[in-house]
Amino acid sequence: MLEKAKLFLRGAHIPDKKNLSKDIPIEEMPAPPILAISLAQHIGKPATPIVNVGDRVLQGQLIGQSSGFISANIYSSVSGTVIGIEKRPNVSGAKVDHIIIENDNKYENVVLEPLADREPQTIKNRIAEAGIVGMGGAGFPTVVKLSPQTKVDTLIINGAECEPYLTCDYRVMKERPQDLLQGIRLLAKAVGVSKIIMGIEKNKPDMIEFFAKESDITVVALKKAYPMGSEKHLIYCCTGRKVPVGKLPADAGCVVQNIATALATYEAVELNKPLYERYMTCSGESLYQPRNLLVKIGTRYDDILNFCKGFKKDTAMLVSGGPMMGPAMLSTDIYTTKTSSGFLALSTKEVSVENPTNCINCGKCAQVCPMHLLPMQIDFYAQAGDFDSAESVGGVMNCISCGCCAYVCPAKRALVQSITLAKGQIMAKRRAAQAAQQQGGKK
Amino acid sequence: MENIETVVMSDTPHIRSYRTTKNIMLDVVIALLPACLMGCIFFGWKALMVIAISCVSAIATEVVWKLCEKKSIITICKEFDFTSLITGLLIAMCMPSTVAWYVPMLSAIFAIAVVKMLFGGTGKNIVNPAIVGRIFAFMSFTTMMSTFDTTLTNGTIVSGATELSTMLATSSTASDLELWQMFIGINLAGCLGETCKLALLIGGIYLVVRKVIDIRWPLIYIVSCGLMSALLYGDIAFFMPSILTGGLFLGAIFMATDYVTSPNNKYASYAYYLCLGLLTAGLRKATHMEVVSFAILIMNLLVPIFNKVLHPRPFGSEPLYKVCANFFKKLFSKKNKEEK
Repeated sequence: MLEKAKLFLRGAHIPDKKNLSKDIPIEEMPAPPILAISLAQHIGKPATPIVNVGDRVLQGQLIGQSSGFISANIYSSVSGTVIGIEKRPNVSGAKVDHIIIENDNKYENVVLEPLADREPQTIKNRIAEAGIVGMGGAGFPTVVKLSPQTKVDTLIINGAECEPYLTCDYRVMKERPQDLLQGIRLLAKAVGVSKIIMGIEKNKPDMIEFFAKESDITVVALKKAYPMGSEKHLIYCCTGRKVPVGKLPADAGCVVQNIATALATYEAVELNKPLYERYMTCSGESLYQPRNLLVKIGTRYDDILNFCKGFKKDTAMLVSGGPMMGPAMLSTDIYTTKTSSGFLALSTKEVSVENPTNCINCGKCAQVCPMHLLPMQIDFYAQAGDFDSAESVGGVMNCISCGCCAYVCPAKRALVQSITLAKGQIMAKRRAAQAAQQQGGKK
Repeated sequence: MENIETVVMSDTPHIRSYRTTKNIMLDVVIALLPACLMGCIFFGWKALMVIAISCVSAIATEVVWKLCEKKSIITICKEFDFTSLITGLLIAMCMPSTVAWYVPMLSAIFAIAVVKMLFGGTGKNIVNPAIVGRIFAFMSFTTMMSTFDTTLTNGTIVSGATELSTMLATSSTASDLELWQMFIGINLAGCLGETCKLALLIGGIYLVVRKVIDIRWPLIYIVSCGLMSALLYGDIAFFMPSILTGGLFLGAIFMATDYVTSPNNKYASYAYYLCLGLLTAGLRKATHMEVVSFAILIMNLLVPIFNKVLHPRPFGSEPLYKVCANFFKKLFSKKNKEEK
């Protein structure tokens, strides 16, 4: 079924540059000789390592045990020997524990126990067991999202892929549609809903047409705008419901899942394969060979770069993920995780490194802000150190950090940076207040 | 990789739109050119002199100010963003072609030095420099600023008051001019940039197409001013003459829409331009003078209040009617309790 989307007026219109890698079939990248698998690939507590240095591990063997409700299992992506457990920098520069495995190129495989039935609770347990997290970028454990506290009636599959350059979700939809559909149906069963909506941006007309043929799935053709794939806006465009301020999508009766997550669910339930590899787009004008790859988790970015024949001389920036929200990398000595959806080498023509000038109060940031905030006010107050006003006037805590404001800013101000600063300061203040309250309570 | 040293870091997002402040300001300059050209055609080389003097003094003031701040010439050139050129052009455009050479010069210097640079340069001024420049000239050289030369189509030059001041003084729409003449600016007395409404409109359309301004901003201002005039004089015949005479078009399209001194979100903007229109019509009726610049000056100072009172609420907030309903519910429940 095909349905019309609700009107979404805000957001920025960004050239999507998906043509660079849109028509390139997915290719499996051979695993490099040495991999480092991070134990903190998700939001929440890092996993606890359950292997020791010198142990031999198999592909698909559990090496990191989930250490709480909001945590996830970690599996080895190759067979080989553990040669170290040490702290290495992740994409954003923080040092986290990595299990370093030397690949023996034998790819000896172990799988999970086959499931006896397809009951909701069994599926949920399997999703938790296979270490599946939201693969769109946040890395929130999927099983937590599938067990909402309030009643939900709709499962929304996020096929918007609104970040420019990224095409791996599109390739998955095109190349493995039947597997994907099974994954989607399993997710719907796990949540216990019958209504499945798939939001697909209009720049993928073939996929809209294909999935609209399915009788149990409603396809919503979304306007091409950034950030269409943001949970709150996707829910609004697909169902017309608004997620109340400060609440979760479940409060609007919806569960949102990513394409890659649905596919991982299929593989975990039907093929008994834990999550140890993922699809990834390698693109950018500066990359010699843009590609869509199936990459083992824990692969070094440098190896991916070599596989894509390196980058051109005019490279200005290396980005992990999409160009709007993904962090820039200072070195390629970093390893992929479950949430690495892309790797971009951007040329000097594509990126902007201009110095910021005075704000001219043009209001373009407020015009595009999908959350209806006032980024220029937040920036003004954050620069002045008045974080309370940044919250009360600008509404900084509602920001989803999509980067639309900074994209359109003619003065090239670092708005997202100011917003992140204000958010951090306000959170720290709240934590301090909470701690003080608890201490006072004890006395 | 060997050339990794060239890689830079930045905060997200890594891609930016091509629009810059300079780029936008250049668009405004381009939009002002048709009206300047028409001014030169109607009023001859005198108009060109006024424009040249005003622009040169505006830019020179900025450069000298920055030199005093001990900035190098290269930085000044890099920083140049056309805003002083816009101020210079606007000051020239709201002056009669007959003014002495020092009037545009002094106004431009005052506008740039006192109103713009003293407050911190581009983006920091609290009122529009061009508006203050015009008011400065009007206050200091009142007679010179209120006599206008009109070159009639038969070649004779007539000095006199503008069509608008005649209308305001006599409270009648009786005029020798047809509406289309007012629109094109033929035989119309006035400041050199504001007589040809057609040229201003072309500039305005250019700005709307280039997405520099929202079409609703000048539209709300002009329409509300026209309707308010018609209402005040009790005759709808006043609608067209009151919007086609005086500096309303110039003010509405180019001066009131200045980013720095107008509200920063759409709700506040609409209210702002509506108030501006009402204020202009009201002041015109009360003072029998052309008051567009004074109205804009007053409203510029009120912008922070508009920003503070009218601002968008975050996506997913309670609908406004519910907020109101809850407010009244609380109010009544309190009253009931008190009564009990």
